[in-house]
Amino acid sequence: MRDLLLGLAFMLLGAVVLTVASQYPTMASLQYGPSLFPSLIGGGFLIGGLVLSATQLPTLKRQLSGTDANVGNIFDLRSVLVSLLPIALIIFYIFASEFLGAALCLAIIMFVLMLVRKTSLPLALLVSFVASLTIYFLFSRYLLIPLPEGLLNFWG
Amino acid sequence: MEAFLLGLQLVFNVETMLVIFAAAIFGVFVGAVPGLTATMAVALLVPITFYMDPTPAIAAIVTTSAMAIFAGDIPATYLNIPGTPSSAAYVNDSHLLAHKGRARETLGMNLICSVFGGLFGTLILVFVSPSLAEVALQFSSFEYFWLALLGLSCSIFISIGSRVKAFLSLMIGLLLSTVGLDMMSGAPRFTFGIPDLMGGVNFIPVMIGMFALNELMLFYGSRNEGRELPYLSKDSVFKQAPKHIKAYWPNMIRGSSIGTLIGALPGAGADIAAWISYAVGKGRSKQKQSYGTGHVEGIVDASSANNSGISGAWVPALVFGIPGDSITAIVIGVLYMKGMNPGPTIFMDGTGLIYALFIVFFLANLIMLPIGYAAIKSAKVFILTPRKILMPIILCFCIVGAFSINNSITDVWIMLLIGFIASILARCDFPMAPAILGLVLGTTLENSFMSSMLKSNGDLLSFFSRPISAGLGALVILLWLSPLITMAYKKFKHNSQHKAPRIS
Repeated sequence: MRDLLLGLAFMLLGAVVLTVASQYPTMASLQYGPSLFPSLIGGGFLIGGLVLSATQLPTLKRQLSGTDANVGNIFDLRSVLVSLLPIALIIFYIFASEFLGAALCLAIIMFVLMLVRKTSLPLALLVSFVASLTIYFLFSRYLLIPLPEGLLNFWG
Repeated sequence: MEAFLLGLQLVFNVETMLVIFAAAIFGVFVGAVPGLTATMAVALLVPITFYMDPTPAIAAIVTTSAMAIFAGDIPATYLNIPGTPSSAAYVNDSHLLAHKGRARETLGMNLICSVFGGLFGTLILVFVSPSLAEVALQFSSFEYFWLALLGLSCSIFISIGSRVKAFLSLMIGLLLSTVGLDMMSGAPRFTFGIPDLMGGVNFIPVMIGMFALNELMLFYGSRNEGRELPYLSKDSVFKQAPKHIKAYWPNMIRGSSIGTLIGALPGAGADIAAWISYAVGKGRSKQKQSYGTGHVEGIVDASSANNSGISGAWVPALVFGIPGDSITAIVIGVLYMKGMNPGPTIFMDGTGLIYALFIVFFLANLIMLPIGYAAIKSAKVFILTPRKILMPIILCFCIVGAFSINNSITDVWIMLLIGFIASILARCDFPMAPAILGLVLGTTLENSFMSSMLKSNGDLLSFFSRPISAGLGALVILLWLSPLITMAYKKFKHNSQHKAPRIS
C-alpha cells in the first residue's frame, strides 16, 4: 500500500517537474536547452512511479478482496509522531535561534529529546547544558561560525 | 621523487598526525554504536574538515571510514546488531562464535582481515590508479558523459533490492543536481526565487539530512534501545589468529580482491562487497554447511572485502572523479569545495597531494591495529553508550554543521527537507546511495552532454565516434540490456531442459 501511494506521489512529482521544465527559455543557438535534463528526469519519475504503483496492484486487489491478512496496521501512529519530533525541533531552532540564541536552543532541543527517551532529569539537564555549550564554543569560537548569540548577546 | 617528499611532509606533521589519531577514535566510536553508520560519521565530519587543509581533511575522512567499518563488527559480535551495514553479511557467524565464548578471537580475526583488506586495496589503488590516470588524460566530454552514465547505471543495477526504487532514488539525486543556474543558458532552474539556491543545492546539508537526520528519525520512530549486553568474553584476541590465517589465507586474498573490484564499481560500497564475497566464499568452501552457524571462514571472506572495498572505491574517484560509494561521493564534494578537481590531473600536479593521500591510506589501515585492539579490549564502553544521550547531541551537530557550510539557514531547511523525504523513502526500502551519486554526478552528466553537443553540432552519433567513447557506450547499453539478456538466457535454458528428455 505504501509503495502504491509513493508510486502515485512520484508520478505527481514527475508531472510537476515536466510542467515547470516546459516553461524554461529556449535558445536559438542551442539545440538542447535548459529544459532537456529536467524533462528527462520528470519523465523518469512518471515511468518509475507508474511501474512502482503497477507492481503493487495485485497486493491491493488481495487486500480489497480480504484475502490478505496484512490489512491495516500500516503504521504505528505514535512512533510516526515521535519520529517527527527531530523535524519539529529543527523548525523550532530555525525560528527561535535568532532571539534565544543558538546555545540555549540547542540545550532545549537536547533536553526535550532526552526526556522523550526517559533519561533521568538531572542527567538530561547536565548533558544538555555541557554539550550545547561545547558545540556552541567549538563552532563559534574555534571555527568562527557566526551562530546567533541571542540572549547571550543581550546579557553581554 | 620531489613530489613524494612533499607528500611525506604533508602527512608527517603534528596537525595531520593528530587528526588521524582523533579520526581513528571517532571512527571506532561511531562504528561501534549500533545505528550510526560510517557514511553518517563522514557526513558529520565534513563541516569540521571544511575548515582544514586538504591533506588533514582527507586523512580524517579516510581514517574515520576505515575504522568505522571495522568497529561495526564489535556490536555485531556481541549484540547481533551490525554497527554498520558492512558487517551485516557475517553477523550470524560472529554472534554465534561470541555465544561460544570466542568473541575476542572473532574480533581479532575481523581486525586482521580488515587491516589486510585495507592494505590490499591501497596497494591496488597505488599501482593501478596512476596508469589509469594516464589513459584518462585522453578523455574528452564524450568519454566523461558515458563514464558518468555508467556510474549512475551501476548504482541501479548493482544495488540490493528493488531496481525501480533505486531508479527513483537516482532521479531524486539528479533532480537536486539541476537546481541553480543552468550552465549553458544561465537560466535559473527550480530556485523558486531563493537567492541561496542560485549556486545549486549544497551537497553537505543533503548528506547530513540523508544519512544523519534520517537515522535520527528512524531511531525516535522505534522504541528499541537495544542496550542489553549478555556477556563479555575474556578469551585472547590474537592467540588463534596464526591458525586461522594459515587455514584461510586464500580467502583473505580472494575477499580482498573481490572487495577492491566491487568497491571500484560506482554505487556499490563496502556492504555489497561483503555480501558478494561471503556468497562467493560459501560457494567455493569445502564446509559450505558451516557458513552461518558460527564459522570463521565466512568472517574472513567478508571482513577482508568490506575494508578493501573502501580503498577500491577511491580508484574511480581519484582517476575519473566518479565516486565508487557514498563516502567517496562526499570526498569528491569536499575536494570540489576546496577548489581541487578530482580526475587525472590530480596525479600530474607537483604538490605531492596524491602521494600524501596514498601515505594516509597506509597509515589509516596500520593505525587500525593498535586502536582496534584497544577497542576490542574495551568493547563494553562503546556498546553500552546510551543512544538516548548520543542522538540528541548528534541532532545538534547536524543543525550547526549544515548551517556552518555557508552560514545560511537555507541549508538547515534543505537538510530538514531531505532528511524528512529520506526517512519516508528509507522506511519503504529505497536505497540512498543512488540519490547521492545522482547529486554528485548529475552536473558532470549534463555538462559533458551539453559540451559534446556543442562540439558536434548536435550530432548524437558523435558519442560513438571515438574508440574509448564507443566502448564505454556499448558497455552502458549492455548493462541496460542485461536484465533482458538474463531473462532470455533463463528462458532458453528452461526450454532446452524441458526439450532434452523428448530428444533422448
